[in-house]
Amino acid sequence: MSALDKLPAGHGDRALLAGVVCLLVGALFAFTPMRAQLPSFLYVFVEVGILFVVYGLLVLGLDLQYGHAGLVNFGHVVFFAVGGYATAMLSAQDSFSGIALGYPWPIGLAVGVLAAAVLGLGLSATSIRLRGDFLAIVTLATAEIFHSVFVNFQGIFGGNVGILGVPRPIAALVADGDTRLVATLFVLGGVTLVTLAAVTRLTEAPYGRVLRAIRADELVTRSLGKSTITYKTQAFVYGAALAGLAGGLFALYNGAVAPGFFTIQVTVTIWIGMLLGGAANHRAVLAGLAIIMGLRLVSRFALDVTPVSGDVFASIRLIVVGMILVAVIRYRPAGIWGNAQELGVDR
Amino acid sequence: MGLLQEAIFGLVTGSYIAIAAIGFTLIYGIVNMINFAYGEYLTLGAFIGLVAATALPVPLPVAVLVAMIGGGIVSIVLARGFFTPINDTGPVPMLLTSIGLGIALRNAIRLVGGRSARYFDTETATFRFDAVPSLSIGPIDLLGGFFITSEHLIVIGAAAAVFVAIHGLLTRTDVGIAMRAMGDDESLARVRGIDTQLIRDSVWILAGVLAGLAGVLMAIQTNVSADTGFSHILQILSAAILGGAGSPYGAILGAYVIGLVLAVSTAFLPSSMTGLSSAVAFVILIGVLLVKPSGIAGTEVREA
Repeated sequence: MSALDKLPAGHGDRALLAGVVCLLVGALFAFTPMRAQLPSFLYVFVEVGILFVVYGLLVLGLDLQYGHAGLVNFGHVVFFAVGGYATAMLSAQDSFSGIALGYPWPIGLAVGVLAAAVLGLGLSATSIRLRGDFLAIVTLATAEIFHSVFVNFQGIFGGNVGILGVPRPIAALVADGDTRLVATLFVLGGVTLVTLAAVTRLTEAPYGRVLRAIRADELVTRSLGKSTITYKTQAFVYGAALAGLAGGLFALYNGAVAPGFFTIQVTVTIWIGMLLGGAANHRAVLAGLAIIMGLRLVSRFALDVTPVSGDVFASIRLIVVGMILVAVIRYRPAGIWGNAQELGVDR
Repeated sequence: MGLLQEAIFGLVTGSYIAIAAIGFTLIYGIVNMINFAYGEYLTLGAFIGLVAATALPVPLPVAVLVAMIGGGIVSIVLARGFFTPINDTGPVPMLLTSIGLGIALRNAIRLVGGRSARYFDTETATFRFDAVPSLSIGPIDLLGGFFITSEHLIVIGAAAAVFVAIHGLLTRTDVGIAMRAMGDDESLARVRGIDTQLIRDSVWILAGVLAGLAGVLMAIQTNVSADTGFSHILQILSAAILGGAGSPYGAILGAYVIGLVLAVSTAFLPSSMTGLSSAVAFVILIGVLLVKPSGIAGTEVREA
């Protein structure tokens, strides 16, 4: 019997194992004098990779909401933003704009998750009964409201500059730039993998079956005695809390928050990633997100070899992204790895 | 500035939002989709009008006509290419498709038209009424002197003409009556021998024509850039839902409510926070969806 056979069999357990290993490797870089050397061409990969694992938390939460419970949340970025801002406001030290309270960062992170969950609870208490497309509009409008609040209340949120001086726990431990990036990637990647394990556990349990039943036919599920509103609210709040966690981690990695990090573009990116990979399949949505974010890498490298300006390239990339969304919905509504029969979209 | 002046600005904003909101709500009522790319139709209309007015060049009224025709053609072509093939998949896939199409169109316009804002050359006459006495309550001046420009009058007049034309179309012509029948119940309309695809196509063309007109009016008031339409789409959507999605008359009412609220909240908000006025419109939208989701005149949108 080889060591390979002793590995756990389920997707969830494997993700948990991989996540713990990642966290341990990250800790090794952070707490020991071990140093990493990055070849210069890898920098951009690591940077996009860090953003990918943060967005990965967002897409896992969104997949719980849309992929499993069928909730069309088109303002997911608002929970990301609220988590980030709450963490930043509580933990930032002497920022010249906005409120900086200077508490230890774990408290900030916890409050960030809590704030996003509370907003999710409030939003679902008021609007979860709306029909799909109208729920999309309400969540979208909520995101826009919060965005303009963050921009306009300069004394509290720092306006367009945002809040600076957020502590960076990993940067505090590791002085060397290369090692810091690698350690961050491993730690945040570990968090995302552990989260993947947790949501896989949740949705493989009977609980997940009820959520998928709600998406398939809410009336039938209700007639089986399930309180669909309670289930939908829970799924919505879990997704919001995950986005809050992502926002808090992002603030602690980035060292600052500003409205520019939390635009509707974030929502669009994770939605397209989710639909491209295949909703209701956790690993597929992460893969879809990787494809969409990989396009950024392609365009960044292509930018170096072609004579056109960055503006033009950004426009072309967004045209491609928009057309991918249109094409996926029309020709492969279940996504690349999604189960068409289960999603009820096979024709 | 007095509140009266802000109310005039609100009336102007409400007018071009109303024209666009009618088109938006007709698509919602008859094709049964929230068309998030509708803002880009406005932008395209504005650009077509601009090209006609500057490159050809033709006088402004002709340019408006060209923009309306162009808007109609763009709308039916896009609908045939993107929306008609997935007509039976339900509201959410169609909403998502329109979001993808909107991103692609917006960036294509930016690619071709550039990032800078352009302006319509118009000759403006300004009518001032400075003799109106002030009527102050606290820091807010209720009356006060005001002015109105010929552009304002054109926008308001065009909106009024559109309202009359739409009312006539929906009540006096076969196509309009068929549209209302389809909005009520598509299967029944088909049973009565209405060619539903033909009606759907005519709604797309009508919505495109209205978008072309609204786009040019919007551009005369502000400017033309790739984001002209997109920056107004949430207001248009708010107006349509406020009035009761699918109801053109509700959309007109909703548009003027949104326009007046935007303008008046500018007067009440401190000057550093005028950016919040758009948030106020969304607060109203959410409030309406919570209290009376069917809007001022419309149908139920809650499921459970």
